[in-house]
Amino acid sequence: MNPVRFLKRDGGSSAEEKDRVVQQTDQDASQSRLSAVEAGYLEDPFAKSFVAGELQRRYPLINRGTYIRTTAIDKLVNHFLSSSPETPKQIISLGAGSDTRFFRIASANPGVIPNLIYRELDFRAITSRKIASITASPALQSLLSPQDLSVDQVDGSLVSKHYSIHPLDIRALHPSADFSASINTSLPTLFISECCLVYLSPTEADAILRWITTDFSSSVGIILYEPTGGDDAFGRVMIQNLAARGIVLKTLKKYSSLERQVERLRVLGFTDGQLAVSVKGIHDGWVSARERGRIAGLEMLDEVEEWDMLAAHYCVAWGWRERGGVFAGWRDVGQGDH
Amino acid sequence: MSDLDHAISLLRSCKPIPEPAVRELCYKARELLIEESNVQLVDAPVTICGDIHGQFHDLMELFRVGGDVPETNYLFMGDFVDRGFYSLESFLLLLSLKVRYPDRITLIRGNHESRQITTVYGFYDECLRKYGSANVWRYCCEVFDYLALGALVVGAGSFVGDENEECEVEVVGVGGDVVTRLKRRDDGAGLMNAANPLQEGSAGGGDGGTVGGPPGSGASGSSGGTKGVNNGAVLCVHGGLSPLVDSVDKIRLLDRKQEVPHEGAMCDLLWSDPDEIDGWGLSPRGAGFLFGADIVKHFNHLNNLTLIARAHQLVMEGFKEMFDSSIVTVWSAPNYCYRCGNVAAILELGEERNGSGAGIQWSAAAGRGQGSGVARRGPGRRYRVFEAAPQDSRGMPAKKPVADYFL
Repeated sequence: MNPVRFLKRDGGSSAEEKDRVVQQTDQDASQSRLSAVEAGYLEDPFAKSFVAGELQRRYPLINRGTYIRTTAIDKLVNHFLSSSPETPKQIISLGAGSDTRFFRIASANPGVIPNLIYRELDFRAITSRKIASITASPALQSLLSPQDLSVDQVDGSLVSKHYSIHPLDIRALHPSADFSASINTSLPTLFISECCLVYLSPTEADAILRWITTDFSSSVGIILYEPTGGDDAFGRVMIQNLAARGIVLKTLKKYSSLERQVERLRVLGFTDGQLAVSVKGIHDGWVSARERGRIAGLEMLDEVEEWDMLAAHYCVAWGWRERGGVFAGWRDVGQGDH
Repeated sequence: MSDLDHAISLLRSCKPIPEPAVRELCYKARELLIEESNVQLVDAPVTICGDIHGQFHDLMELFRVGGDVPETNYLFMGDFVDRGFYSLESFLLLLSLKVRYPDRITLIRGNHESRQITTVYGFYDECLRKYGSANVWRYCCEVFDYLALGALVVGAGSFVGDENEECEVEVVGVGGDVVTRLKRRDDGAGLMNAANPLQEGSAGGGDGGTVGGPPGSGASGSSGGTKGVNNGAVLCVHGGLSPLVDSVDKIRLLDRKQEVPHEGAMCDLLWSDPDEIDGWGLSPRGAGFLFGADIVKHFNHLNNLTLIARAHQLVMEGFKEMFDSSIVTVWSAPNYCYRCGNVAAILELGEERNGSGAGIQWSAAAGRGQGSGVARRGPGRRYRVFEAAPQDSRGMPAKKPVADYFL
């Protein structure tokens, strides 16, 4: 895998190696996204741009899960973008990795871009690679306004009028941390954490949520996508298997259920609304019968019992603190809009 | 040592055999299987196994728990390949045992024994990886087309274990201790009037002969007792029933020597699932149907069956009886896909003992004479529950991720 060997400290891997393992999860997610796109679950012309090497085909249940995760988050993001369309807004994606969401929004819904600032935060190793992919792709670059584009690939940063990538270890985010130079804390802001905060210690993850709800003065909302339910047989094996790859789901124990996710958001300051639903709940309840039929027809999914288990062990949770009405639609997402 | 014995010994140590040996083995297997009926007749005693899915080391664990071939007579209900890392070795070992001991092992077809499914779920890729070409996959697929669609177990005894105890169901937990023993429910006797004492994982309850398994030991798969008299056979099929098949004879009439079709009776037998519904329902799998208790009871009655044994569905406790023990799911792939955390099980059916055998036909006739209220009696059943083979015995390929998650 990687020729570089790190010295072991304290009987375990070095901190750098642990971070590297977390960073590698990004390629895993990008591969899964591309697999779901190639199989017809998702439309994403940009998925290919961020995948190194050959397509790794995923099993149908992983494709289905990637589809549910992506479309559920899209739905929440779109509600945010379409409410009070004239209000300037900000989206900050924590540990964004190779996520394509900005480019998908910019190509499918260019009208929202003038009022949007979209920021991605991640380790420099990740942002450098992403910036290299962007600069290699005319299609991606065409969605950024060239006049004010500034790229520093060594530093791993990209700044443009509406889209920026910041090399940042998000563990530096906590109340009173000074990011005034790069991050506007007065705009209504939506945060996204797709399998990101779960790798941090509960203390670090909690500090980030507190930073959001104390240092940002306007409306704030967050979307979390994370594993849940680690205390049954399936969950225990999941923890073991990922641990064997060096991946530790550090907040899983503390936020092990939908109820605990809701409570987490409430306690940490997203006081106007907190909801959580499992991926299985989203599949069964949010996706229209017609769309469910379409995705069921893409591949023969023989993993029905496994799907039920896997999908019950991931959730989307979202919470908000309202100062202006931009999260108005969030309470009813998933209900009655089939 | 014959070539075949040599191949068996290689495969037993999880080593693939050379391509020409695979071709030879598959040729011999086809010659043998072509003579088998769509519904193979199998005499009890027999040990019935569910999905294996290329989990070779767990298959070895199964043989350790259930006894080796030819000492134990086995019936495997399909899904030998896909998902696990050693589909090739698992299937070829079973196939070589079949050729070596044709009367001691029966293999029937699962929905994964198909060209289309194996290209999605791993067997095709595994063959390509291990041989550099698709030839071996092709030989195996040709064998798949000849596998029987089902089996009928006849001569199964009414009781399990000690004759004097009249025990109908025995569960042997992980580690080999008997954790549950259920006496036959006799009409009106009320011994087992706590209906399905094992259902939903509650292993306690029942009469004094019932011992609860430790939670999570997997020794709490659900089983109730059956009432009445035993005279019927046990139908074994990978998936379940089909709305196009109302008798075992109809299965016998199918032309099975083909790729599994997308619909129709043959497809349904390999894809369908029992469910808590009335009649027939659409399957979430996109093939086959869901069928309810009424369908099973009617089918069993018409065909003189006391039980349907099937596989196809992951059950966390290894086995699950449904519909008053008229159908059972047996699942033999522990910690399925190295991800699910489940235990596995095999089902042992013993042979009819002296005395009880003689009375069978007479009792059955008497039972029918009294009206339809008396159900036929299911065979004595021993479930042996087992866990995945220890990690260090399996030598997982290091370059492949253990299992997929959303990251």
